[in-house]
Amino acid sequence: MTEPTITARVFFEKARSGQLTAIRCGACGELAMPPKELCPSCHAHQWQPVTLVGDGTIASFTVIRVAPRAHAADVPYAVAVVRLKEGVSILGRIVDVPLDKLAVGLPVRFRPLIAKDLTASVGFGPA
Amino acid sequence: MRRVAVIGVGVTKFGLHDRTSAELFAEAAREALTDAGIRASAVQALYYGNVVGGETEHQLHTGPQAASVLGIPSVPTTRFETACASSHAAFRHAVMEIAAGVSDVILVGGAERVLNVSTAESTEYFAYASDAVWEQPLGLTFPGVFALIARAHMEKHGTTEAQMAAVAVKNHRHGALNPKAQFQKPITIEQVLKSAYVADPLKLFDCCPFSDGGAAVVLASEEVARKHRKPVWVLGSAAASDWMLLGDKRDLSRVPATERAAAAAYRQAGIGPSDVDVVELHDCFTIAEIVATEGLGLFEPGAGGRAAEKGLTGLGGEIPVNPSGGLKAKGHPIGATGAAQVAEIVTQLRGEAGPRQVEDARKGLTHTLGGNTATVLVSLFGRD
Ligand SMILES: [Zn+2]
Repeated sequence: MTEPTITARVFFEKARSGQLTAIRCGACGELAMPPKELCPSCHAHQWQPVTLVGDGTIASFTVIRVAPRAHAADVPYAVAVVRLKEGVSILGRIVDVPLDKLAVGLPVRFRPLIAKDLTASVGFGPA
Repeated sequence: MRRVAVIGVGVTKFGLHDRTSAELFAEAAREALTDAGIRASAVQALYYGNVVGGETEHQLHTGPQAASVLGIPSVPTTRFETACASSHAAFRHAVMEIAAGVSDVILVGGAERVLNVSTAESTEYFAYASDAVWEQPLGLTFPGVFALIARAHMEKHGTTEAQMAAVAVKNHRHGALNPKAQFQKPITIEQVLKSAYVADPLKLFDCCPFSDGGAAVVLASEEVARKHRKPVWVLGSAAASDWMLLGDKRDLSRVPATERAAAAAYRQAGIGPSDVDVVELHDCFTIAEIVATEGLGLFEPGAGGRAAEKGLTGLGGEIPVNPSGGLKAKGHPIGATGAAQVAEIVTQLRGEAGPRQVEDARKGLTHTLGGNTATVLVSLFGRD
């Protein structure tokens, strides 16, 4: 039996309600996020959705001060690669952490960022 | 497989131009054909790099467009787009076509025009080389990608902002010796360190500029190349890719695609890093040069920052890197960059680089990286 693939649309729907969703390979156990068609480890297509707890630490970060047009009003803003407790990593905005307190290894917790048009993007706030 | 040589090179001045990218390419191509001493009618194909023509010039189909503006409308043309590595990808495919015996003479080049739009616009268009679903909506920029790499490298290896600044100072010193460079003025460590943050820890002077420009090289089979005064042989040319998403890259302090492409190119050429005399590599940001010198095997992982600070990569140093001034000072018209790097290495191996000549350069390397490090090409060159 093949599980339905978690598409980006499904990921962001779940994200809007506060859930960070990864997928686990039924053949080899590899965890992946965001979704991929084939398991990068064994190339099987046997994914099961897994809800992550949302806790992680900053693996690397930057403060963007020259932004693309759509984000010009937000500067300066922090973007980080966050390594989740379960082992996968994802890029997100860091919010509610003073920019001078950002550090590699800082614990953060998943927090969906909801735009005016109700689309969600990946964010993290203080743990 | 047949041997392939570069027999002609041409590059426009990089910087602000009031001409289209196709016109800039055409100028470089005419120079390359003249340098090769062959007629345009000898060209059997055009492999072309252009990236944001659709955005900044409302121009797609840039391959035949460039061929038409040059005046060779009937040869087969293909546009390559691998972000900033586009014309190096074009180069590699032309090498394979000649090596396979399909063609004898191929024109390879690229061009870009971005200074006709605002910095905010070009910042947005360059960000299109990152993922549109998972990364662009977060406001990730191109400097932001390399800032994340820089932070990881600093954390893991103790690399400093002053070491990164040393790369900028060195490349500006080299650029001052290159009449085609966008910036021909030396800068100081203090100037770099005092420049404004663009994406911490990267400052304005850690970043290459936005540039307009074109570059072209003529590739030929051995039979054709033997009639040329100074053929420069392609010893190897390899490409590698990596995950698009930064979150999927396991160690941000490294660029695995550089390591894989370099290993393949060295294997093809039957040489190693210590055999290379001169390098043109992808210093879109100062940290990119440091990480590339490690990935290419010129220095141990983590030693690139200290090597830059000690001057090992300057002209007269242990292994001169970016004698042209690199992307940092020469400029970075993204579609042209790969071909322009080849042009510089060919000029060096011919011994025709004037004040920026690396003494007795026999073997050279070019390294071009696409956008978020998901594409890398490495090629190796040697003279007779
Ligand atoms: Zn698997």
